[in-house]
Amino acid sequence: MKRTLLTTVILLWTAIPSLAHRLDQYLQGTIISVEKNRVDVQITLTPGVAIFPALIADIDTDRNGVISAGEQHMYAARILNDLSLKIDGQGLKPQLLSIEFPAIGEMKEGRGEIRMEFIANLPRGGPKRKLIFENHHQSRIAAYQVNCLVPRDPDIRILAQNRNYSQSFYELDFTQK
Amino acid sequence: MRSNHTIHTTILITLSLGTAMAQTSTSQIVKAANSFLSILDDNQRKSASFAYDDEEQRKRWSNFPISIVPRAGLSMKEMNPAQRVAAMALVASALSPRGLEKVQQIMDGDEVLKTSEANGRGGGGGPQGGRGNGGPPQGRGPGGPPNGRGPGGGRGPGGGLLFGSDLYFISILGMPSEKTPWMLQFGGHHLALNITIIGERGILTPTLTGAQPALYTLNGKTVRPLGAESDKALALLNALDDNQRKQAILGFKLADLVLGPGQDGKMIQPEGLKASSMNEKQRAMLMDVVAEWAGIVHESAAKARMAELKADINESWFAWSGPVTAAPGSNIAAYYRIQGPHLVIEYAPQQMGGDPSLHVHTMYRDPTNDYGRKPAGK
Repeated sequence: MKRTLLTTVILLWTAIPSLAHRLDQYLQGTIISVEKNRVDVQITLTPGVAIFPALIADIDTDRNGVISAGEQHMYAARILNDLSLKIDGQGLKPQLLSIEFPAIGEMKEGRGEIRMEFIANLPRGGPKRKLIFENHHQSRIAAYQVNCLVPRDPDIRILAQNRNYSQSFYELDFTQK
Repeated sequence: MRSNHTIHTTILITLSLGTAMAQTSTSQIVKAANSFLSILDDNQRKSASFAYDDEEQRKRWSNFPISIVPRAGLSMKEMNPAQRVAAMALVASALSPRGLEKVQQIMDGDEVLKTSEANGRGGGGGPQGGRGNGGPPQGRGPGGPPNGRGPGGGRGPGGGLLFGSDLYFISILGMPSEKTPWMLQFGGHHLALNITIIGERGILTPTLTGAQPALYTLNGKTVRPLGAESDKALALLNALDDNQRKQAILGFKLADLVLGPGQDGKMIQPEGLKASSMNEKQRAMLMDVVAEWAGIVHESAAKARMAELKADINESWFAWSGPVTAAPGSNIAAYYRIQGPHLVIEYAPQQMGGDPSLHVHTMYRDPTNDYGRKPAGK
């Protein structure tokens, strides 16, 4: 499947002029919010016009031109399966809160954003904590971005953020009173 | 197509309006707004007017062309020449001369893009890819005729026009007033000015500027609408010592804006080099970069905003990702971010199939006061 998607992207890319659209990248912007007992994660996924045909074939599995609620949740489950979230070395279980799809036409034009939100409960830990988030969804065409919000809780203080070059790996050190 | 003479006259009228009205108080902006509204017919006035608390309209802005993300308001295309002059006079009254020039250069760039797309050259072209002959853009500014529609060029997926200076919209939220809050919006492709006027305060956040091509030739002159944003930031980077650069330069790639359209009110954890670790000269250079955005609005509002940001300077950050050099006269291909307690600036070259230095999006925010939501005095 991945090879087919990449081949399609390359073929379409060469046929599309460089207009105002995102083209051959699948932008995946993640914003993490650390709360007292949980982590909130929002991901915004924006497929480029060149990858849209292959991606929609992957999402709209019955090929009826409509992304049903079932197909939306299947896709959300696949994204979650490609993510990893750990606190102090211990794996966290994400719970999907919502997934919203734009109109297919909007995605086709390179402006449609798939918005997904999930949370994970944080087990109790020491004052110094390390959160690790990894994203490997569609890694061959992805452009990842990860950031965390300034904590609203004054008892939580961010110490450091570290990422690899592609931002598929993100490490957040923080203190919690 | 209009003659060069007519276009030049139009440009001069617009620029002189900008110069004459740039350093104005709220009363002059209100006067310009009322003048504009008074020469519209009822339908046009209805199109341009919104309730001050219309949240949908407030957030209806984007970096995309209008055929991809439709705007509301009244477009330049729907105005007669006198109405266009009045619309631009209103925009000019709320901006500094340099702010107005930047807006005009962004709109000119969109004309260049339209022409290059019509000629089948694709976007992102610089002097070669744009109008290499230096000819004027078509239908530019107030008084311009409908755009020439190139053979298939500059059209969106639905056949609608994608680019050109006709495709910029003006809207007024609330009633223009010297006392009660109201808002002026002006924007289209690569431009979203959101100016909230509250008494004598003029709040420009959130505002998006962008350019494609970000370097083009017009009337024999090379234009870089966001060139100062590029040059000043690179100069600051080059003024840092090795240890400071190590902190400022992020070790990861940034493909786009983090806090673009739809990300109102979010404050991300700052990164890079803290300005408290800079010397006085470097801090002054940082403020000079910031002024490229804060100084878009008219002088008195810009002065108040710069004072606010200067007070925050030691809590401000500068971060850079990407190439650390640029050829003289060219834009950087690197992303950078300036962040403070009341500020987020992002400069993001776009990876969309062409030279990223020729297609740039920027964002200017105050996450604590986007759309002037912060109560006065706080």
